[in-house]
Amino acid sequence: MADDGLSPTVCPYCALGCGFYIRKGEGGPGIEYMLDHPTNEGALCPKGNAALEVLGHPERLRFPLLKAGDGWRRISWEEALARLAGEIKETIRDYGPGALGFLGSAKCTNEENYLFQKMARLLGSKNVDCCARRCHSPTIPALNRAFGAACMTNPISDLANSGCIFAIGSNFAENHPLVARWALRAKDRGGFIIVADPRLTPTAWLADLHLQINLGTDVALLNGMMNVIIEEGLYNSKFVEERTVGFEELAEKVRWYTPERAAEITGVSASSILRAARIYARSPASAILYSMGITQHSHGTDNVTACADLALICGHLGRSGAGLYPLRGQNNVQGACDMGVLADFYPGSVSVSDAEGIRRLEVAWGGASLPKGMGMTAEAMPVAAGDGDLRLLYVMGEDIVNSDSASSRGRRELANLDFLAVQDIFMTETAEMADLVLPAAAWAEKAGSYTSSERRVQWSPRAIDPPGEARSDLSTIIRLADLLGLNFDYSGPEEVLAEIGRVVKSYAGITRERAGARGGVIWPCPFLDHPGTPILHQEEFSAPEGRARIVPVDYQPPAEERSPDYPLLLTTGRIVLHYNAGSMTRRSPSLMRRAPELFVEVNPGDADQWGVVDGDLVEVETRRGEAWARARVTTRQERGVLFMPFHFPETNTLTSDVIDPVARIPEFKVAACRVGKMKGV
Amino acid sequence: MEIYVDLERCIFCRACEVACERVHGEARITVEAVKDRASVPVACHHCEAAPCALVCPSGALTQEEAEVGFEAGKCTRCGLCVVACPFGAVDLDPASMVQKCDLCPEREVPPCVLTCPTEALIFGDRFEATEELRRRAASRIAQSYAASVGRDRA
Repeated sequence: MADDGLSPTVCPYCALGCGFYIRKGEGGPGIEYMLDHPTNEGALCPKGNAALEVLGHPERLRFPLLKAGDGWRRISWEEALARLAGEIKETIRDYGPGALGFLGSAKCTNEENYLFQKMARLLGSKNVDCCARRCHSPTIPALNRAFGAACMTNPISDLANSGCIFAIGSNFAENHPLVARWALRAKDRGGFIIVADPRLTPTAWLADLHLQINLGTDVALLNGMMNVIIEEGLYNSKFVEERTVGFEELAEKVRWYTPERAAEITGVSASSILRAARIYARSPASAILYSMGITQHSHGTDNVTACADLALICGHLGRSGAGLYPLRGQNNVQGACDMGVLADFYPGSVSVSDAEGIRRLEVAWGGASLPKGMGMTAEAMPVAAGDGDLRLLYVMGEDIVNSDSASSRGRRELANLDFLAVQDIFMTETAEMADLVLPAAAWAEKAGSYTSSERRVQWSPRAIDPPGEARSDLSTIIRLADLLGLNFDYSGPEEVLAEIGRVVKSYAGITRERAGARGGVIWPCPFLDHPGTPILHQEEFSAPEGRARIVPVDYQPPAEERSPDYPLLLTTGRIVLHYNAGSMTRRSPSLMRRAPELFVEVNPGDADQWGVVDGDLVEVETRRGEAWARARVTTRQERGVLFMPFHFPETNTLTSDVIDPVARIPEFKVAACRVGKMKGV
Repeated sequence: MEIYVDLERCIFCRACEVACERVHGEARITVEAVKDRASVPVACHHCEAAPCALVCPSGALTQEEAEVGFEAGKCTRCGLCVVACPFGAVDLDPASMVQKCDLCPEREVPPCVLTCPTEALIFGDRFEATEELRRRAASRIAQSYAASVGRDRA
């Protein structure tokens, strides 16, 4: 804590890494804006302003709890950790380490996630994953293949230098509001904003050109744009020749996707496709922003690949204003992935099939023998629990019950586990199902580093004390590992970060001091005096021979289509006043006052046809289940499409569990549905 | 001084409301969306001939140059100001005296303005605010023009 009573901190909500100060005062902690932060310049969205409301919340978990009949029994930390260690050892003895599952958290620090996966893998389990599986898992294989690095290429503030910002499947004005600041600065400088979204969102309000595309037709739109760009010779032939491979195959593939054919599939006019293509290609520096509208599809990996292809053929990469921006969802989802809390990667993007990389880790971790090969993903774990292959699941800071698609099924499957341990700050619906609940410190109550979407690693010091007996996840993991005989001898997060620097190359030059300076450090930072790397791929790509790979993809329709029984399509997304599964924002009074309940947006034409009245409660049904929501009749989306936010538990009882074959992300964005009964009120 | 709005920038995020509520206990600025096509934050405009101050019988609301001041000790809770304000920016909640934006005199810049993600709220006098709006518009036009005639961007 600084002398002035102000403790700098990193916002716990989305992945932009906005900074603010926590002021300790007599009436409880307060917020002061951090005007010199490089990403947010002091500004905060409504969630940031409400962030402290969860800290002293009366429903915070304060003591370890053991399931006793239908209720809970308060137990000591000693008993709780001995019990968990005992259950883990017993499971290994009876079924082997393959029956253990570990779900890390994109909300926890780098240090916590690093130790969490290290513990799991030293115990011999490959089954480590986190919620990145549900947001940007397609980004990882697609951009690794294209660029050799699966992350945002340029800083958020660099958007101000773009001549054209093309947002596809990203409602950034609601989900990453500070991105809008920099996009508007670009607009002030003559920049052009294109937004492709099936809905007329506040992001689309900012657009000079809104492409209101049919659900799940992104590849057709992108291929259509590339068809125009190649046909009219607008591609960057020098960049393509010197820095990429695969252009010819792409040109061959997109030849079929004339603007007219693309218009037919996407519902966007051919002239708009032409216009978007010309503006994106011709601008001196263009940026592509994408988010879950691209990734949460049964062909999410293809969608990301098509975005990368567009950037590559136009050479809009590797310089200021020109970049590809996967906007990530959680405050530390980039960090959790960097730390190897993924079924397919060890820390530092070492593939689970990379024997040489794993051997180096074995040496670094004291000569242990580490498991190789793909582990169970976050989606596969509940299924394996249902099948009896997974016996014990340890969840750190995730509400998987509310976040999974087709969530009623997941709930049934998790009930089949021998033992479920959940570590969280609130009694989430996942925690309700647990045998053991461990109370965790929230972000401001512990120290550690977080890596934002722009690869910015920032240290967030402890500002206030946790409630009751709640502990940092780091201290819980260290103590548990001790009981499991792993000898995790760390004095604190600083020492863990130092080890991360020895294991993860891009973090080698990042220390507690450097991460604690204003704005931290942007990785790759390979040595101590290295300034960090705000813009990637300037000279060469990390892919083989330094060349990026252009991979042609074809349009695939969404897995579910309209049918006589389910004549409408449901899509899901986020709203500005809530966050993910809602365990924090639904407990935040200032946000709940403004967005108190689940709603479903219905086009007026559909409302007339199905007898829906604005403000009525309406039942929405899919093949997986049904949910009640308050109807909002609005022209935000076109006829035949309903929208529901996923911050309320009911929404994901409806969503589809068809997954992308590569990234294994469910198709949250498209489900065939119908409207059922109405209730006045 | 007053809080002005660049309507092109408002994204209906309501951060200004939550920030104001955080500081004052309740929000004295409200954002409303119209037909899901645009949104407008509304707070006290500190009018030049402020109807609320003109009708105030007790002298609690007063016109002080470009600001409408408020002295709680003189307020009788008669509510005429609430009726008079054409923007609904003056309120009388059950527990307290008149509630309206006081421009946070103890701070250099009000939190609603600092927190605005898109710089839609502008704090200043009328001349400063309109100058900023003109600067943004001119920049947009000049840059587009430069690009259209092939002059590279600085």
